[in-house]
This record gives sequence, C-alpha cells and structure tokens, in this order.
Amino acid sequence: MSGKLGDRKNAIFTRSHNEAILLIGKSLEDCPLDEDEDAFQGLGEEDEEIDQFNDDTFGSGAVDDDWQEAHERLAELEEKLPAAVNEQTGNGERDEMDLLGDHEENLAERLSKMVIENELEDPAIMTAVQTRPVLQPQPGSLNSSIWDGSEVLRRIRGPLLAQEMPAVSVLEYALPQRTPQAPEDDRDLSERALPRRSTSPVIGSPPVRAVPIGTPPKQMAVPSFNQQILCPKPVHVRPPMPPRYPAPYGERMSPNQLCSVPNSSLLGHPFPPSVPPVLSPLQRAQLLGGAQLQPGRMSPSQFARVPGFVGSPLAAAMNPKLLQGRVGQMLPPAPGFRAFFSAPPPATPPPPQQHPPGPGPHLQNLRSQAPMFRPDTTHLHPQHRRLLHQRQQQNRNQHRNLNGAGDRGSHRSSHHDHLRKDPYANLMLQREKDWVSKIQMMQLQSTDPYLDDFYYQNYFEKLEKLSAAEEVQGDGPKKERTKLITPQVAKLEHTYKPVQFEGSLGKLTVSSVNNPRKMIDAVVTSRSEDDETKEKQVRDKRRKTLVIIEKTYSLLLDVEDYERRYLLSLEEERPALMEERKHKICSMYDNLRGKLPGQERPSDDHFVQIMCIRKGKRMVARILPFLSTEQAADILMTTARSLPFLIKKDAQDEVLPCLLSPFSLLVYHLPSVTVTSLLQQLMNLPQSAAAPAPSNPHLTAVLQNKFGLSLLLVVLSRGEDLQSSDPAAESTQNNQWTEVMFTATQELLRIPQAALAKPLSIPTNLVSLFSRYVDRQKLNLLETKLQLVQGIR
Amino acid sequence: MLFYSFFKSLVGKDVVVELKNDLSCHTGKRRVDMDSCCRIAICGTLHSVDQYLNIKLTDISVTDPEKYPHMLSVKNCFIRGSVVRYVQLPADEVDTQLLQDAARKEALQQKQ
Repeated sequence: MSGKLGDRKNAIFTRSHNEAILLIGKSLEDCPLDEDEDAFQGLGEEDEEIDQFNDDTFGSGAVDDDWQEAHERLAELEEKLPAAVNEQTGNGERDEMDLLGDHEENLAERLSKMVIENELEDPAIMTAVQTRPVLQPQPGSLNSSIWDGSEVLRRIRGPLLAQEMPAVSVLEYALPQRTPQAPEDDRDLSERALPRRSTSPVIGSPPVRAVPIGTPPKQMAVPSFNQQILCPKPVHVRPPMPPRYPAPYGERMSPNQLCSVPNSSLLGHPFPPSVPPVLSPLQRAQLLGGAQLQPGRMSPSQFARVPGFVGSPLAAAMNPKLLQGRVGQMLPPAPGFRAFFSAPPPATPPPPQQHPPGPGPHLQNLRSQAPMFRPDTTHLHPQHRRLLHQRQQQNRNQHRNLNGAGDRGSHRSSHHDHLRKDPYANLMLQREKDWVSKIQMMQLQSTDPYLDDFYYQNYFEKLEKLSAAEEVQGDGPKKERTKLITPQVAKLEHTYKPVQFEGSLGKLTVSSVNNPRKMIDAVVTSRSEDDETKEKQVRDKRRKTLVIIEKTYSLLLDVEDYERRYLLSLEEERPALMEERKHKICSMYDNLRGKLPGQERPSDDHFVQIMCIRKGKRMVARILPFLSTEQAADILMTTARSLPFLIKKDAQDEVLPCLLSPFSLLVYHLPSVTVTSLLQQLMNLPQSAAAPAPSNPHLTAVLQNKFGLSLLLVVLSRGEDLQSSDPAAESTQNNQWTEVMFTATQELLRIPQAALAKPLSIPTNLVSLFSRYVDRQKLNLLETKLQLVQGIR
Repeated sequence: MLFYSFFKSLVGKDVVVELKNDLSCHTGKRRVDMDSCCRIAICGTLHSVDQYLNIKLTDISVTDPEKYPHMLSVKNCFIRGSVVRYVQLPADEVDTQLLQDAARKEALQQKQ
C-alpha cells in the first residue's frame, strides 16, 4: 500500500506539465499525505486552476458554441451590411451576449475585406499613392516604429494604412478574450465591401473560401515559418539587438506582413496550438497576407534608390497578372510597399543609405522596363543590373530587326500568348510561388554578407572602379555611384548542448553531427627517416614553402581588410586594430625572409624559394605596398641579387612583370645610396673599377628579360631624377653614382641590340641621363639600342 | 556560398553546361561547332542561379541536335545543380585573383 502511495506521489510530483496526472492524483488520493504539505499546497492551487478550466470548458463559464445559431446570425446580419451604423450598434449589443460569435463575424469580414480590397489596389494606382492623405503622416511613424520591438504592435493598432487594418484586427480578434477596439471599428465599418456569406469562420465548418483551394496548408507552413530567422526583424525576436543598417530585406515588409507571419513573436505571445479552430482561417489569412511579399521581386539589394526600386518591380510584375483578371488570388503587395511609395525621400530610412532624389522618375524608368524585369530571386548589384539591361536591349533590338525571325524571336512579346495557350500554366498560384521563393530566400539570409558574397560584391566593385577611372579620364557624365548593400541578419549564437536524458543513470552520450564521437583511435606518426631521397627532400621543401605562402596569404588578406574594419569599428577599438595590423605586417615580412633572428639575413634562400613559385610572386607584389621602405628595399635588393635565377625559373610562368609596378613605386621613394647599390646589383657590376669581365651573364640575363630590363630602366630613371633634382648632393654619392653609370653605359653599349627584350615601359628621362656620361656618338647608339627616342619606334 | 556568389557574377553571360548524364547544355546565340565526342553541351545564357547551384539557362542550343531531337524546341531550361558536371565559362569574365582570395577567405572561415 505504501509502495503504491509512494508511486503515486512520484507521479504527482513530476510537475512537467502533467496536469492529467495531477488530476488523477487528486481523484485517487483519499487521505492527504502528511509528509509534504508544502507540495500539497501547491497542488491545491493547481486544483483551483483545474477547476476553473473545467468550468470554462464544460460548465457554466463556457461560451455557448452553437455553430448553427452563429450561422443564422451571420446570414441575418449580412443584410444589414450597408447600414454601417447599425453594424456598430449591433456589435455593441452582441458583445455581451456572444463574445465568440462576435469575434467570428468580425473575423469573417476582416478576411473578406482583406481579399477584396487588395485587389482594388492596382499597381497603377500606387504611383498616385503619394497624393493620398491617409498615408502621409504614417510612414514616418511606421518606419520609426519598425525599430521598436515592443512598440510595433501597439502602434499598428492606430489606423495606419487601410490594408494593414484588417489583418491586424483579425489577429486581435483571434486572441481569446479580447474585445475589439472602438477606433478600429470606425475605420473598418467604412470599408466593408463583401457580404459575409462568402466566409464562414465558424469552428469546424468548411474552410474559408476567401483563401482559394490549394493554399499551402497551415501545418506545412508553420514549421517552416517557425524559425526565428523568418521574423524579419531580429529587433522583434531579440529586443536587445541594436538596430542594424542596412535593414534585412524582410524588414521592408509592412507591419501587416509582420503580423501576418504565423507564430511571429511580434504578437507578444505565440498562439497556443490548442486554439486551432479559430486560427485556421486566421492562419490562412495570414498566409494570404504573408504571401504578399515576394522576396525575389523585393530585391533585397538596397541601393541608392531603395524605396522606388523595391516597390516598382512588384508593380511592374504585377501588372500583366492583374490584367489577366486573376482577381482575388493575385494580391499585389500594395500594403507592404505603399509605405515606401508614399514615403518622401527624406523620411527615415537608416542613415547609411543614400536618399534617392525621388522614387518617381525611377519608378517610371523601371516601369518602362517592366517587360524586361527578371522575376528571379537574386538581388543584383546595380552595375550588374545595368549590364544586363543593356544586353537585353541589344537583344531586343536585334530581334526587332530580324522581324520576328524564327523560333529564336524575342520571347517577351510572345510571352503572354504562350501563357494563354499553355495548359500547364499557372498550376501554382502566384502566392504559392512566392511562398516557395520566400522559403528559399530565407535560407540566403546571411550573418556576414561580406564574406558570404565576397566574390560577387568585390567583382562589381572593381568593375565600377574601372569604369569610374575611365570616366574620370574621359570627363564624361558622372554616373551615380550606387553601392550594393546586402541585408544582414544578426548572428544567432547557438551553443550546442548535447542531449541529456532525464532520469537516466549516468551520462548517456549521444553522438550526433554536432557532437561527434571518436570511432577510431588513429595515431598519426610522422616518419623522419634519414634515408630520404633527395627528391623527397626537395618535395618536402617545396611543400613547406607552399604552406608558408598560404599562411602569409591569410595574413595578407587580413591586412587588406583592415581598412574596412577600421571604418566599421568604434573609436576605442581603432588603436588596437592598428596595432594588430602592424603586427601582422611584421609577421608577413618575417615569413617572407625566413625567421632567422640574426641581424643580417645570411641567406636569401627562403625568399628565393618563395619567389620561385608563381603565387609567391603574386603575393609579394601584393605585400609590398604594406611594408615599410626599408623592408621593401631589402626585398628588392634580394630580388635584384638573385634576378637571373628567378628569371630562369619564371620562364614558364612569366609572372615577374606583375612585380614591376610595386617595385617602381618603391624605387621612386628610395634614397640615392640605395639606388646606386641597387643598380650595381642589377647589373652585377664589379665593385672595383678593374677591367670588366668579357662577358656579364648576369646583365645579359637581366637585359634579355622584360621584367629585368624594365626594372633596370626604372632604376636608371630614378637615379637621373635624383641627380637632376639635387645637384648639390654629396660628392661621395655623386662619385659613386657616376662611376656606376660609366660602367653601366659601357656594358649597355656592348650588348647587341637583338638580345634586348622589350621593356614594359620606358621612362622619359633616360636620354638626359645618358647624355651626361657618354659623348654624342655613343649617345645615339644607346638611343637606338634602347629605343629611347619616341620617333624611332 | 562561394560558388553561388561566383555564378551570380556570371549571370547574363554565355556558358556551356555539361551534365553528368552526358547531356551538355549550350545557351546562347552562338553555335559552337565542336566535336564533342558523344558529350552533349548545352550552350546558353545564364539566367539565374541559386544557392544549390541550380542553373536556369535561356536561349538554349544543344551542340548535337540530331542526337537529341527533343531538345530542339526547348528555349529555356532549369538544370538541377547536382547533375552538372562542368560549366564552361568565358575566361575574361572571371577574376582569378579575386576567386583565389574568396576561396582562401572561405577556407579561413570554415576553419573557425
């Protein structure tokens, strides 16, 4: 007996929402247990609640839920529809009588209104929306209210946009024990259109016909919309989140759609699943409203003309559909975007976005392109869009010229024809298509668009820079520099907690994809055998070099990114960022030169190894601008020393010329001493003025290579600059330079012309340079050889 | 997301898609006379791409129509990403340096 009691007590005390067990416990218990009176007090409280629930459901407090009566009432009332005033009083009267019926009836009319009224909103009207006074005062508050997480619902109740009203009221009425608010009634009454017979929101009755058959069912929709990401503003989901710029694409949805999203936490409390009968028409209505958003057409990319652009493609795309008379099923996203059409440009979009001069001209512009609009789900960089449109226009011109040739004619014009003839067209409603594309677009919301979309964004930025550079040269009309701003979703920190089972003895480890379990004990042994073959050593060395290159590359990419991070960071963080950057640059340099700690770099070998590999050279070219002058000069000297070797290795790749421009840049900052020694290195001139060797393979190799020759010329030019700019320079330097130049010119004269490569660029001051050191005849010789004079070419 | 981003930048360009079932998709105005040994290439203009690398091509031409007459009437097609074997790209539309950088960044990111 006591055992059984004990068991029951355990069952009772399992408080995890097992009210049924509590009930059982209550009914079975004859004598109260002496031991835990506190617990029983708690039980007692729960009993009271249970009593109340019982009453509500079965007893006196229950609402009389006779659907037949409700139906009749609806039928009666529909005749009173035109009399708006009667409605109101009727509502008031019935309020006390039948709360639920009242709710349903209002629900019905809201639903119907939502369907019908929207169809009246022709996109063609949307441009005229600016003149509608109703909308004027709202957009400002609307936009600002977007940023207030908890405030939105409250604000929405104010009569904002006509379309938003019905949906909101629907939701309100769906909430249990809520009474309609008076001001909203006023508005709603004035806009009633459809007799209520078309909707039957009564519990258990056939589905609301306001929503066509084939709507994605609630069950399907709910799980997918259950993700927090769907809620367009993380502001609502997680209030502590600061407002982000730019807004995610979903933010452009009106509060209408926000409310429409099922299980949106915007509503403050999620609908308990136990209220489905009232909700199912509601949910369908929500789907109706929710599907108004077409993420693809919304073009999340918000560039300079966001408001205008966002709305008009929808308008444009909607036009043909509407004309086909898909009334009632086609819901132009009027509500969502009216706010933006009416919003004058200075109204509050987030600061970083550039305000458009006005949506008007742009709208018209896009409307004229309506047939060319691409109803896809990708959002394009403005440059990209421009290119595409150009292409399309070209195509259309071509097709027009061909007079509708063959089956390759323009598809656009015959598009509608095809639609009419195609028996398989429109199997899916536009709303369903939107629903599917919305799901897909949700998955694309990224927490870091810069990284996720790196290639695309940077590619078009480069294109724009190129075209900007061209324009600057050409002095053409300046196009607007539109930037692509990608919406960014806040990162959700998911700390993975492995599954724990309650009541299990010991800890059960469940192995899953997030929590993998070690299956095999594999030990990694690295063989360090002494009798490695030479090939293997070489291979290993190369691999090591490759690894070093990759590591340095990561550092380089990081450093290149610092500018962007700098702009995004706060004031306090900036010194730290600079420090980090310097540190990284130093480690890059160390990587390049080999980490030998000595003052002198005894061997260039490490660097040369890196330079033998193609990507190593490219990397060095990119690193150079970040290095300090000394470090860079060091690199340059090393390169000059081992230039023939590098040239030989580069024979296949021919990547060395990419180093020319950073090197040139560097050379123009070098002092004259360095330049002198550099020249010596390059030409491998003997230090002393002894008789020169009969042949100078170093120099030959250098001169025969494009890069080598170009570098040489650059160095010469720099030397000349230094000489000419500073005639009163120190004599030692001057002497050195003069000596070097003499020998240099001698060497140059010796080389046959045929052996010379074609340099990438020829500095202009070489003639004056050589004229100092050689006489007329030799000067002419040099000129012809090196093709220094323009006319000779 | 690297290749999604990459293909996005190629939207509007002519590509040749070769499929795993040896059917190759050509999109575009030009007819390439290549002797593709029993491999069909479909040539066309890249209309759009999604995160699964599903490809929509417009203005298709198949290189070997006699073999695959059913493709004669097809103008636009949607190709599931998983059946693509190769996509042949115009070389001047690709910035290899940028692509390398993107790949490195992606690798770094995944390491974290």
